Amino acid sequence: MGIEKITNRQLFFILFMMRVTVVIGFLPVLTSADAQQDAWISAIVSFFGAALLVLIIVGLGMRFPDMTAVEYAQKLIGKWAGKAVSLIFVWAFLVIAATDIRIYGGVLITGFLSETPLSFIIFTMVIAGSIAAYSGIEVISRAADLLFPVFLSMLVLSLMFAIPDFLLLKNNLEPVLARGAGPVLRGSIIPTIIIAQYLILTMIIPATEQPKKALRVALWALAGASAVLVLATLTVIAIMGPDRGYRTVFPFFSMVTTLNISEFLERIEPLTLFAWGFGVFIGVSTFMYCGSKGMAQILGLEDYRPLVGPLAVISGVFAIHSYQNVFQLLTFFQPKIAGPYALSLIIVPMGILWTAYGIRCLQNRGIK
Amino acid sequence: MKIHRRNKDKSGNPLTDNMDLSQRYRKVEEIKLGLHLEENLKTLLQLSGNSIDVKFRRFSINKNIPGVLIYIDSMINNASVEEILRVLMIDTQKIECRDESHQLLRTAIKDLITVNNIEEVNDIYSLFAKIALGSTAVLIDGQSEALVCDTTGFKTRDITDPSAETTIQGPREGFVETLWVNTSLIRRQIRVPHLWIEGLEIGKLTKTMVAFAYIKGLADEKMLAELRSRLNRIDTDSILGSGYIKEFITDQPFSIFPLLLRTERPDIVCSAILEGKVGLFVSGSPHVLVLPAELPMFLQSPDDYYEDAIAGSFVRILRWAAVSISVLLPSFYVASVNFHQELLPTALLLRVTASREGVPFPVFTEILIMELLFEVLREAGIRLPAAIGPAISIVGALVLGEAAIRAGMVSPAVVIVVALTAIAGFTTPVYSMSIAFRLTRFAFTLLAAVLGLFGVQFGLLLLTTHLCSLRSFGMPYMMPVAPLIMRDMKDNIFRLWVWGRDTRPKLPGKREPYRQASGQKPGPVKSYNKKENKNGY
Repeated sequence: MGIEKITNRQLFFILFMMRVTVVIGFLPVLTSADAQQDAWISAIVSFFGAALLVLIIVGLGMRFPDMTAVEYAQKLIGKWAGKAVSLIFVWAFLVIAATDIRIYGGVLITGFLSETPLSFIIFTMVIAGSIAAYSGIEVISRAADLLFPVFLSMLVLSLMFAIPDFLLLKNNLEPVLARGAGPVLRGSIIPTIIIAQYLILTMIIPATEQPKKALRVALWALAGASAVLVLATLTVIAIMGPDRGYRTVFPFFSMVTTLNISEFLERIEPLTLFAWGFGVFIGVSTFMYCGSKGMAQILGLEDYRPLVGPLAVISGVFAIHSYQNVFQLLTFFQPKIAGPYALSLIIVPMGILWTAYGIRCLQNRGIK
Repeated sequence: MKIHRRNKDKSGNPLTDNMDLSQRYRKVEEIKLGLHLEENLKTLLQLSGNSIDVKFRRFSINKNIPGVLIYIDSMINNASVEEILRVLMIDTQKIECRDESHQLLRTAIKDLITVNNIEEVNDIYSLFAKIALGSTAVLIDGQSEALVCDTTGFKTRDITDPSAETTIQGPREGFVETLWVNTSLIRRQIRVPHLWIEGLEIGKLTKTMVAFAYIKGLADEKMLAELRSRLNRIDTDSILGSGYIKEFITDQPFSIFPLLLRTERPDIVCSAILEGKVGLFVSGSPHVLVLPAELPMFLQSPDDYYEDAIAGSFVRILRWAAVSISVLLPSFYVASVNFHQELLPTALLLRVTASREGVPFPVFTEILIMELLFEVLREAGIRLPAAIGPAISIVGALVLGEAAIRAGMVSPAVVIVVALTAIAGFTTPVYSMSIAFRLTRFAFTLLAAVLGLFGVQFGLLLLTTHLCSLRSFGMPYMMPVAPLIMRDMKDNIFRLWVWGRDTRPKLPGKREPYRQASGQKPGPVKSYNKKENKNGY
């Protein structure tokens, strides 16, 4: 098997699905802060914050187009320090994978499998994700090609079916910015730092066909996901009201539950969840791939595959034991807790690497 | 040829009954035809064990040089053999060969015999391999080379309708069991020297001819090299049909999805070859393998091209929908009745629940029983002779189905689901693919029974990963869908107009991406204008 290559389109699909699944999963703009009916503005604001972070994440990768972060970290700050910094990336992948899986489990259990043990749901998602990760990034991206239309049509259908109710209840969106910008900014923190997911780009850029365009792809994916987030937030606020939306655990799915188009289409919620799970799968498998690939490069292994199994088990255990119930998950996603945590996952390693890179550049200039 | 040499025996020993096959191989490899006719004859007789179908016809040239004609009964064309005999016995009287220059004699005879192919053969294996295909060997005293004349005239099946792949329109030719007839069916469609047909023999005992046809300069050389190496790797004693070859050269032997397309329609093979793919012919099999194959190929029928483009596209999309139904419908039924009653509209739910009243089995068992029953019926229907085949459908559908519902053993809803699934399954044009789908259906039903819709999702994720990880001779199995190649969509999920199909499929046809000039969209006469139209037509 030669070197695996994925196209920019596939990268876009992966990034888009990865972000959309989490941000519409529990609509952090609404549930994590007090932005209330202005949450959709938070969604717009979060795009700019996230775009900045994407620049930080991707910028360095573009300067080393054929190296993963683990490789260029070792080049920039030495072998052992580089490996130590790379461990942060692997940790981030592990934590994000576990959280993704946990959100999935939480949605399913509160949604409609209330009697199924959580570990069972997590187990199946971990198995599916790790098999895909074991098959390689090419297989994951082909699966993304295949599942993206299903995923997108789920989004479009859910939002389309919401249009009549939305038009009826759009008063819920008023007043706009009545309480100033503070709540709006607070609401945008969590969706911004969820961009830590895009740390996978540090591992995936060398596998893309045109690494130079990775930044553009990432920003487009972010823009697409943000547009979906804005629309979903608008719909949820209008239909459920800001107050109920705030207090619901997974507002988007609760909103879909209330939709009632005709006699025949009474509840499309299971189908929405069905397609949403595809997105979770793409995210989880990509994180597992990147995590095991990164770990393999840290350990100096040729093949990452032997590490997929252990990593899958660890992320599964993390997913079960990190959060005892859905509310703990929500508590974690408070701006005060998850904000600094996820931000440090991005800023600390990337900051070290950027500084090293800057010093390198200055040195080189000095020599010349 | 690799021969297992277990026992060493001294050369020179005659062939005895005690000699095992491998010893015989070795023995025969040592034997070459000698100069003495009688000794050669003795060896050949001993080797073939006086088999009753091998005929030895003695004759003599100029009444002094004896010779023998060897052929196999009813494999030959009688007229050609008679012609050879006439030449040998009568025409040779004209040539002066009193001297012992046998080379001259042989050349003279070769010039006189008027069959289209004569070879000089010294080795006994090739001699037999040729006789077994209808050639006639001429052995002459004092000559160590046998003249093998092509006199093939055995009976082959006529070219008939491909019975397993019927179409409403389009050609009615189907492949037959004879390799040469099959390759000729391709050759008469693609009449350029660039159509190359490579051949080789596989199988120590069967010596099966295997040939593969491709367009030189269009088919990927790397893929061809891979195919050659996979074929050369095969070391077996028998190849009986293309199924053997298929299992030897497939990429992923443990997948239930066929990674090579088996077809008996020349038009399918032709169109594949024109896209840069390869047709693999196996002697003795009316099924030709097409490789590399991708999953959408299995859901296409030549009929799509003989119909209008829009109708063709409609049918193709319909087929995808039918496949989804045949794979997922029972699992959705089980999941929605067991776990997600809210998915069904209330009226439908009430109906289903009412019909399940008094049924003694859980819904999964019910589905499983009916599905298995249907599989048994289908299998029985295939094995039965055509004359009593319909009886099965009467017994199966009317008696069993009706009685089972009347007796309250199964609910009518399940019968509807199973019947719908079965009918949807029949739309898959390629039989091997419909088997694969059928097997996945059982897995999905089981997952749905255990985990509901969530189990179906799990199954779909595993299936997606599996299908996306498959490759057939280096090409992704889900080709134009995953990886997504928009350009190929116009002749894949859809079937757009032939004039718009400018490009070949991207991956197999990458060496020559364009198959025709663009902008050939037809239209009404351009010079038409109203002034000329005096009569108001």
